[in-house]
Amino acid sequence: MTSPHGTFEIDDRDLIARAQQGDRQAFTELVTRHQAGVVSLAYRMCGDLRLAEDAAQDAFVRVWQNLNSYKPQYAFRSWLYRIAANAALDALRRERPAAEIDQGSLADPAAGPEGTVEQDQRAAQVRRAIAQLSEPLRMVLILREYQELTYQEIADALDIPVGTVMSRLNSARALLRKELLVLLEET
Amino acid sequence: MNPHVIEWLAAYHDGELPSGRRQQVEEHLKDCQTCRAELDALQGLSSLLKADPLPAHTPPERFAAQVQLRLPRASLSHARQKEGRLPRWVLGVPLALIGVWAFMQAALWVTSATLTADQLFGSQAALFNGWLPTGGLFETNASLFLFNIVLLVVITVLWSAWMALWLAWEKNKNQSSLKGSVI
Repeated sequence: MTSPHGTFEIDDRDLIARAQQGDRQAFTELVTRHQAGVVSLAYRMCGDLRLAEDAAQDAFVRVWQNLNSYKPQYAFRSWLYRIAANAALDALRRERPAAEIDQGSLADPAAGPEGTVEQDQRAAQVRRAIAQLSEPLRMVLILREYQELTYQEIADALDIPVGTVMSRLNSARALLRKELLVLLEET
Repeated sequence: MNPHVIEWLAAYHDGELPSGRRQQVEEHLKDCQTCRAELDALQGLSSLLKADPLPAHTPPERFAAQVQLRLPRASLSHARQKEGRLPRWVLGVPLALIGVWAFMQAALWVTSATLTADQLFGSQAALFNGWLPTGGLFETNASLFLFNIVLLVVITVLWSAWMALWLAWEKNKNQSSLKGSVI
């Protein structure tokens, strides 16, 4: 029951307030709502789905343990994604170097075998290019491009000024444009 | 031709420009091929990034159940919140300071009034002999005034120290609540 911008009919704040009182059902509802976003963020950070899901679970456990330190004046997503990004980085450092990325299937069911292989290669190239970015640039890029956070939400999540968000985003995009030049010219 | 708006294009592309600036950029884009090409490149990059979909992952309900299994039996957050609270006696410090200051002001006023009355109308009260200067009305009041100033300075210093402690604690609490690095 989400709007295009990820807000819900029953406000997250109500669920957070209940979860802060120890209501596990309310927390489960929060997890269900935000699972896709957190897994997506972790996947973009790690480039590996198994690792990403593990990191996402770890992130939600940390959220539960620290729920009472959440301040309602900040967007819940900002707080959650900050925790998720850190959990993803921790998982990545634990498991393997960032440069190694998942080569798993990204098949579009509508595409034929040739299309699938080509799409896989393009997707892998994109993920490799993202993985090569430094952590600060990668985090800002992912929060903007995939999680669609506003500049202010990114600034809150990473505890950096909005100007820094903009400059990191510009740097990340410039590097990716250089790295993915061939793919961009094809499209 | 207006100057290029390339520096605003990323924010325009991200929907982050205020309306006035957005209109300015849109007007410029109508006539400027260079800026349009730059915007196309930004949009092309976003499309390319988004063309890499998230692979099929665990359904939300199953994922939530797995998370539930990993949760500690009791929420640690309540204990942490308690840890993060200032002790109650610390919160009573400003009230205690106000109380001390008010009491001392009252005591000084009564002392001053009594001494003044004694000096003007009769011998000094035996109560104050020995621990207050007895040189004369002016000297006595000057001593009380000096004492009052010292008291005010001491209370101000203690109050400032308490405020600094409280602000530092609040700042630390706000930062740690938002920063994932501590989580």
